Amino acid sequence: MAAHPDAMVAIRNLRLDARTEQGPAHILRGIDLDFARGRIIGVVGESGSGKSTLVSCLLQLLPNNLDRIEGEILFEGTDLLKLPPAEMNDWRGRKIAMIFQDPMTALNPLFTVGTHLRDILRRRFPQLSRQEIRERSLAMLNKVGISDAPTRLDAYPHQLSGGMRQRIVIAMALLVEPDLLLADEPTTALDATVEAQIVELLDRLRQDFSGSIVFISHHLGLVAELCDDLCVMYGGAIVETGPVAEVLARPRHPYTRALLDCEIEDGQEGRLATIPGEVPSATWTMDACIFASRCVHAAEVCRQGPPALLPAGEGRKAACKRSFEVLP
Amino acid sequence: MSETAHYVASRLATTVLIVLGAMLLLFALSALVPGDPATALLGPAATPEYAKRFIAEMGLDQPWYQRLFTFLGNILLGNLGTDVLSGRPVTRVIADVLPYTFILTFTAIGLAVAIGVPLGCYAATHRGSVLDHVFAFVSVAFIAIPAFVIAIFLLLIFAIWLNWLPVLGAGEESSWLDQAKRLILPTIALSVGWIGFIARLVRSSMLETMGENFIRLSRAYGLPSRLVTYKYALKNACIPTLAVLGMGVGRLLGGAVLIEIVFARPGLGRLMFDAISTRNFPVLQGAVLVVVLIFVLTNLLVDISYAAIDPRIRRQGSR
Amino acid sequence: MTGFIAIRRTFGRIVSTLGGAVGTVIIVVVVGAAILAPLIVTHDPDALDILNRFSGPSAAHWLGTDHLGRDLYSRLVFGAQVAMLVALIAISSALVLGTLLGILAATLSTRWERVILIVFDIISSFPSLVLALAVVAVFGPSTALVTAIVAVTLVPHFGRVARAQMLTLRNAPFMEAERLLGTSATRIVLSHVLPNIAGPLVVLASIDIPVVITIEAGLSFIGLGVRPPLASWGTLIYDGYAYLSDSNIPVIVASAALAVATLGFTLFGEALRDAVDPRLDRGGH
Repeated sequence: MAAHPDAMVAIRNLRLDARTEQGPAHILRGIDLDFARGRIIGVVGESGSGKSTLVSCLLQLLPNNLDRIEGEILFEGTDLLKLPPAEMNDWRGRKIAMIFQDPMTALNPLFTVGTHLRDILRRRFPQLSRQEIRERSLAMLNKVGISDAPTRLDAYPHQLSGGMRQRIVIAMALLVEPDLLLADEPTTALDATVEAQIVELLDRLRQDFSGSIVFISHHLGLVAELCDDLCVMYGGAIVETGPVAEVLARPRHPYTRALLDCEIEDGQEGRLATIPGEVPSATWTMDACIFASRCVHAAEVCRQGPPALLPAGEGRKAACKRSFEVLP
Repeated sequence: MSETAHYVASRLATTVLIVLGAMLLLFALSALVPGDPATALLGPAATPEYAKRFIAEMGLDQPWYQRLFTFLGNILLGNLGTDVLSGRPVTRVIADVLPYTFILTFTAIGLAVAIGVPLGCYAATHRGSVLDHVFAFVSVAFIAIPAFVIAIFLLLIFAIWLNWLPVLGAGEESSWLDQAKRLILPTIALSVGWIGFIARLVRSSMLETMGENFIRLSRAYGLPSRLVTYKYALKNACIPTLAVLGMGVGRLLGGAVLIEIVFARPGLGRLMFDAISTRNFPVLQGAVLVVVLIFVLTNLLVDISYAAIDPRIRRQGSR
Repeated sequence: MTGFIAIRRTFGRIVSTLGGAVGTVIIVVVVGAAILAPLIVTHDPDALDILNRFSGPSAAHWLGTDHLGRDLYSRLVFGAQVAMLVALIAISSALVLGTLLGILAATLSTRWERVILIVFDIISSFPSLVLALAVVAVFGPSTALVTAIVAVTLVPHFGRVARAQMLTLRNAPFMEAERLLGTSATRIVLSHVLPNIAGPLVVLASIDIPVVITIEAGLSFIGLGVRPPLASWGTLIYDGYAYLSDSNIPVIVASAALAVATLGFTLFGEALRDAVDPRLDRGGH
């Protein structure tokens, strides 16, 4: 089952339901995914595909309207879903760290950058002295490309630009030396030039990062630039996984193909390309291929039960019954 | 830090303007006293000679702009006029009773904060629990019921029926223990509404803050929930609480007037009440001005401490 | 018609909460007593019966009598009438004046806006009760004066809210369109502005009702508001308090009536606020 035998994190059949006004909603519909050390996996999908919820599950910071969660999240053999809350909290900010989407709201406006860094460092390494904490903070600020680090340490979030704040958030994540780094659309809220800088920074930082990085994005181009592996999500399910270069060169799922086409058109014509149709409602019970309603290749077989995520080449999997028929 | 200086300066300017306006209003009121001012102020029993001397002394025969000028000038010099009855300077008369009002209002605020903030935090962190609902109802009741009604009930129960505490007066001449005992019921009566108010405010601001991304981030880093609640969230929740505290000091001072009368305590309220019944206008005017000053200065203080808590405010200048 | 339906829906939301339902019941009782006062009292509220002073509750005097032998129940009912009248007049005049000033502040030049705001600040810098003391000292106590003072102290409340609403409204596209069409300012205010800012102002008005009742009662309690022999909850407490050593029934009855009424109006006001703007979660849930 495991794509990588040395998987650090193995997610098995993860299902999450939430209560909504429309009734029970299936936010995650059985996710199987592995993260290996030293690799960056890009998780791509439209909004509502469940990619952010997946991250919340890894941290066990679940939405209030959670109804039911089942499956396994094996982190080096420990099932996070079975950990008591206190122990789970111990994993956060120690083994797992997170970079948030919107740097403008991720930092508390009433505390200086220094306080933010100090509190998480003190929690992670209680034995550090005041001096060591300061030194580590300064060194990390330099590392994430913040000049004039001593001054920035005393700055309040509102005195910094968006890009600068995101560097601070990244610095926080790296300071705790996690095994698993979750980056939830870390560049979405930034403008294009800053986005490029942050991606470059992440690319540089991964050199001395031994853990695994999960990079959530809705932007295939970014993922192609930064990641080793790709996971495409749609409507709460994984439709395709595999090494980035191969998946993008030769998608094995019509949805990946469509996403790729969008991206290409987007770049060339400068107009917004979209896939016709809408993502099926989360309350829908999956009794067919989830993409069938929007798929140009949909046939009768696609509407007879959901497809399984099956091997589709070296290290690759796809959930499409007609994969080899329609995507040669 | 010049941002801060600028902010404080602009708040100060507004405060001065408000105080000046309040003084003008007071002057206009005194100028509006219907009928002959001497009769109005001294009462019909005053002899014509005394009335004449009084008019000259108070400068009531001068044109209004000159009187306004003298009025403002005197206030700036710290001269609030003379007590018509005792002949003592109004400033002295006020200084004698001011400590009692101060002690009462500030112990009341202190008590309200000491009880209201933890209650609000508890309700916010245990949202939807039975106690949360109980607190919510109790808070509304506390806020709604007038402080002087609570004072009367407390007096009835603890002083008259149970006879646990001495109540009337502040015990000016007696030991500090007796004075403290006499402070208990008035303080409770005055702070009850505030406890409800603060508890609710802290609850709603905490809930709002708890949903913020930066709190999610603190949790994602496994920071202990006590640190997240009491350091990160509470500081954010303090801002609206402080604002309301500032605005509410006025209501508190108004409430203190009635409480002082119920418990027959000396203080600004009692002083104003007595001044009205004896038509001692200079004393009343002085006392009202002092109340306004306290109120406005507290608000200035709140605005400044606002800036100390929230670095973003320093940039904005005024509200 | 849509307005009527909206009101009915809001009301439905109010009574569906426990606080709102309790508040509504209390309000119906108090307002009903105020309106029907002459019909439901058992005695002339001012009729003296010195021989029967401080009589406890009985079939003849449901709540007993006060220090002059007047029927407490009847005085209480007329007290409700005074409280409701003062609240109604004070709040509606403050509402009209405040809204007018608020709209003016938002539409006139910046200089006038500043002047109006400073005036609001000055008024608010007087605790309402203290301002009332200053004014009463000059003009002498009277019910009309109390009403007027309370109205003045409430003007800034409404003014600030009206101004804020107006400011957000000023840049709305339909306002621009109306201006381009050459619709007169008065017409715009009547047809667009008032309906749009009415919600928050009505909520504010209902929340201010208990405040007004409290001020009136407080002033009357220290003898500077409603003057005896007119019955007001404040004067009832005042009379009772003076004769506390003879009987504590009058004080208890009148204070309880005041407390229940303010509680009822507060509960209703908050339920109304939550029903109009569900985002503000303060009460319970």
